[in-house]
Amino acid sequence: MEHLAYDIQSGDFGGAGAASRDLKQHLKRIGAESGAVRRAMIAAYEAEMNVVIHTEGGRLEATVSDGQLDVDVVDRGPGIPDVPQAMREGFSTASSEARALGFGAGMGLPNIERNSDRLRVTSAIGDGTRVSFSITLRPEAADQGARPSSLGIAAELCRDCRHCLAACPTAAIRVREAQPSVLHHLCVDCTCCIAACDPGALTLLDAPDGLAAADGVLAVPPALLAGFGDHAVDTVLEELRGLGFAAVVSVHPYEDELRRGVLDLAATSALPAPVISPVCPAVVSLIEVKFPSLVSHLAPLASPWEALQRDLGERDVTYVVSCPSQRTALLAQQPTAQRRTVTPRLVREAVLPRLAARRRAAPGTPAPQPQAAGASEGDLLVVTGVTHVLAVLEQIEDGRLTDVASVEPFICDDGCFGSPLLGEDAYVAAWRWAAAAGAAPGEGRSYERARPYRPRPGIRLDPDMAVAIRKLAALDAETKALPGRDCGVCGAPTCAALAEDIVMGRAVRALCPYVTPEEGSAS
Amino acid sequence: MKLEDIARELGLTELTSKVTGSSQADIERGYASDLLSDVLAHAPEGGVLVTLQVHLNVIAVASHAELAAVIFAGGRRPDDEVCTKASAEGVSLFVSPADTFDVVGRLYAMGVKGNHA
Repeated sequence: MEHLAYDIQSGDFGGAGAASRDLKQHLKRIGAESGAVRRAMIAAYEAEMNVVIHTEGGRLEATVSDGQLDVDVVDRGPGIPDVPQAMREGFSTASSEARALGFGAGMGLPNIERNSDRLRVTSAIGDGTRVSFSITLRPEAADQGARPSSLGIAAELCRDCRHCLAACPTAAIRVREAQPSVLHHLCVDCTCCIAACDPGALTLLDAPDGLAAADGVLAVPPALLAGFGDHAVDTVLEELRGLGFAAVVSVHPYEDELRRGVLDLAATSALPAPVISPVCPAVVSLIEVKFPSLVSHLAPLASPWEALQRDLGERDVTYVVSCPSQRTALLAQQPTAQRRTVTPRLVREAVLPRLAARRRAAPGTPAPQPQAAGASEGDLLVVTGVTHVLAVLEQIEDGRLTDVASVEPFICDDGCFGSPLLGEDAYVAAWRWAAAAGAAPGEGRSYERARPYRPRPGIRLDPDMAVAIRKLAALDAETKALPGRDCGVCGAPTCAALAEDIVMGRAVRALCPYVTPEEGSAS
Repeated sequence: MKLEDIARELGLTELTSKVTGSSQADIERGYASDLLSDVLAHAPEGGVLVTLQVHLNVIAVASHAELAAVIFAGGRRPDDEVCTKASAEGVSLFVSPADTFDVVGRLYAMGVKGNHA
């Protein structure tokens, strides 16, 4: 339970609004739904103004507990002789000074009533008035609970270098006693830590029984097809089929279809601009965790892998995914795909010997020269790499990116071609892919997504708003007690992350090398 | 309709300069009133307010109602303190020599509508 109190001065027209503004900040930080926050603000502001206009001063007290905001405004004033009359719109006893400022139109109490769920006004002539109102606070809609992650951890390979700590865009990694661990509620399944981990302790989970070359379909990213040195794409396709697959399909036609679908929505739908493409499931997760206000910008379409999965239906499919987020997205639709979702490495190891044998048999096949890439789509801003994606999402959130119709963000540098899990350099693979366009023909489709994108409560301190408020106060105090050097020695990426670990019971203050033993034992 | 286009078309003088990205804000709705409680109750979020009131409480109300901009009609200018406060709150302020009726009429002709249009 959080209790806030503000004194209100009589006639202080300039200072009025401070209490309701502060209240708004508190309600936002505990994750209250934005409509309720707006109503609470309006009601509190009207109550504040009433004290300023009509009374000798008073006090606004707000209590936030179990899903409800209770506000009590008590004044020292003349009292209201006829409360029902005061509740009627248009009735006012305000001074000419107040009226000159645009108040005193007889709308204050009716406005409070309209914006609250329960209002009670009691008044004693010559003594004062008490205005009490309550507003139900629902948390901003969010999916609950941890979700599966596709990040694999091989702790025995960890060298304790801690490069992953700084690489993670959501501060989800901890390294303690040379053991990396992931806070799943924050992890967005991107590739940042994988790219930063030289010894390979952090990687993409593989199928438990390896590459079982059944007589099914092999679904691959274009970057895989273009990632075998100077072996031509059609040769690679042939050798992939040679592993025993009935068909090899590339996801790229689905990427093209999704792009068309997003541009179409940007031009015709009422989605807020810019429309964000859900092409990269890691960016979608990043938005759900860190930018919940941007969820409404996401085109309600399935990612390319999800659309391909839907088209392949009941067929026996092995998916070669280029990052954890693609695997997680596939598993969310079809948990049994776990046995058939494999890393590019596994496929490369199976195909490379076949390609080498082929080269020995018929040496000197030149790779084709690349043709010009397709015409760029003027209304589409393609953003790649976590630094740029974060910067652009910030811009959208601040309302500063209004001249762009749609954004196609990829968490990896240079899009999926830049995934650290693929064997070839992004630029080389993309160049080679452009050269071979047409070597892997196929049709794609885009689908409406069955389940809408929803914010995740990753950064909320507790699903219970009352508990979240308590933890927020403790977090402030804990952050102040730490040195702010963000050195990473404690195993958390920043002092703020350690403070949160302490408040959430995941760590103790003594982990900080700069805190004295006495201070450390205080936590 | 972008705020900067509105300002140009109506020949408005901008009083706040540091409201980031506001010139690109898309204004679809507007409200005209000098009664601040009425503004609070009815002004559309993200919209523009046309008013004669130039005191500090207008900024508090505009911020509470999450308005993008305020146009002061009839050539009325607020104090510097009001402009500073508006910049801090992210509300753009403009002044027009035209009276409220003319400002609203021209906004309407540009496609900025009221709550029920």
